[in-house]
Amino acid sequence: MIAVLGLVVGVVAGLLVRPEVPAVVEPYLPIAVVAALDAVFGGLRAMLDGIFDDKVFVVSFLSNVVVAALIVFLGDKLGVGAQLSTGVVVVLGIRIFSNAAAIRRHVFQA
Amino acid sequence: MSDHDETPTTNLRSDAGPKIVGQKDGGQRETGPKNSGQKNSGREETPTRLRRELPEEVAPGPTGPSEKTDQEEQPVLTGRQRLVMGLWPPRVTRAQLIVALLLFGLGFGLAVQVASNSDNDSALRGARQTDLVRILDELDDRTQRLEEEKQGLEDQRTELENSSDQAEEARKQTVEKERQLGILAGTVAAEGPGITLTINDTKGAVEADMLLDAIQELRAAGAEAIQVNGVRVVASTYLTDSGKGISVDGNKITQPYRFKVIGKPQDLEPALNIPGGVVQTLEKEQATVIVERADKIIVDALRAAKQPDYARSSSQ
Repeated sequence: MIAVLGLVVGVVAGLLVRPEVPAVVEPYLPIAVVAALDAVFGGLRAMLDGIFDDKVFVVSFLSNVVVAALIVFLGDKLGVGAQLSTGVVVVLGIRIFSNAAAIRRHVFQA
Repeated sequence: MSDHDETPTTNLRSDAGPKIVGQKDGGQRETGPKNSGQKNSGREETPTRLRRELPEEVAPGPTGPSEKTDQEEQPVLTGRQRLVMGLWPPRVTRAQLIVALLLFGLGFGLAVQVASNSDNDSALRGARQTDLVRILDELDDRTQRLEEEKQGLEDQRTELENSSDQAEEARKQTVEKERQLGILAGTVAAEGPGITLTINDTKGAVEADMLLDAIQELRAAGAEAIQVNGVRVVASTYLTDSGKGISVDGNKITQPYRFKVIGKPQDLEPALNIPGGVVQTLEKEQATVIVERADKIIVDALRAAKQPDYARSSSQ
């Protein structure tokens, strides 16, 4: 419950504050958000499976974000930033979908 | 979070259990399951989790699927119940707080990204590089076209300005020429140096042909504008005797005859005074003739311009 509240408060704060995204962070923010979404779905699924572990969640959340940003950064340096970020989004999207499917099975029993 | 979703999947696949029992290390797991490539972030967590779970999994039965073990650990709880349980009685635990913090970060980043993506209102922001290049090309083309159009219009403007300058110049010249011709034709007043010629003819002996001689003499000496007693003398002027006076172009004038002549005085005066010339001839007829030079003679008698009926300009 508190976690959901945290998400809601974060969204509201982001909408209200509307900070200027620094130009350095700008290319990595969307990928980082998608990676974090992936981690959140994984965590939700783990909770439904009853194997949720906050330490694992924290580590995987942070490492997901960092690795995704790192991949995009590396891709930018290599000149394939657009393609690589597309690839990252595709992979994370697949994972989100499979996690969402597991969650759906748990919640709707179908 | 990959290990969270990996582990049940691995256990659900029927023969994952025995493999793990046999290997006892996480290394085999990377090649065993089909979707092992997905777990790239949480690999280091896997062995501990396996070690923790494996004894319990293995204990009930060597090939038991994970659903069975889950039910044995927490026999009553389904996923939905766990969700409701986690949601409703809000428990302030360390895990909840940490997750809330991370989710706050996620929500914040999400909102910021969405806001910055949507409120920057330029459609270019989300456009791909190729699209941007295309748009840029189009803009360049358009700029070039507009530049060319502008160049053409500027040329046209310059041309028009020049031509209007030329027209203005031509108009000025025409006006100037009109004035010059007007002096000759008697349609405009004229002033300049010249002489006055006054003929007092008390006896009435002066006749038209004498005045005509005088006019012709003056013209021969370079007179440019002549008027006699208020009548302008032009190319078509004619003189006739008319009773006691003389008729100039139908206007009767009487003595004294006053000629106002514009021209070079040094030429005009001698021309009249030459021996056997106009002055002597007139004096022979008992008339008194006075010739005076003047620096400023005003010839202000005018004559209406007459449109010729038959003659047309052939210059153009």
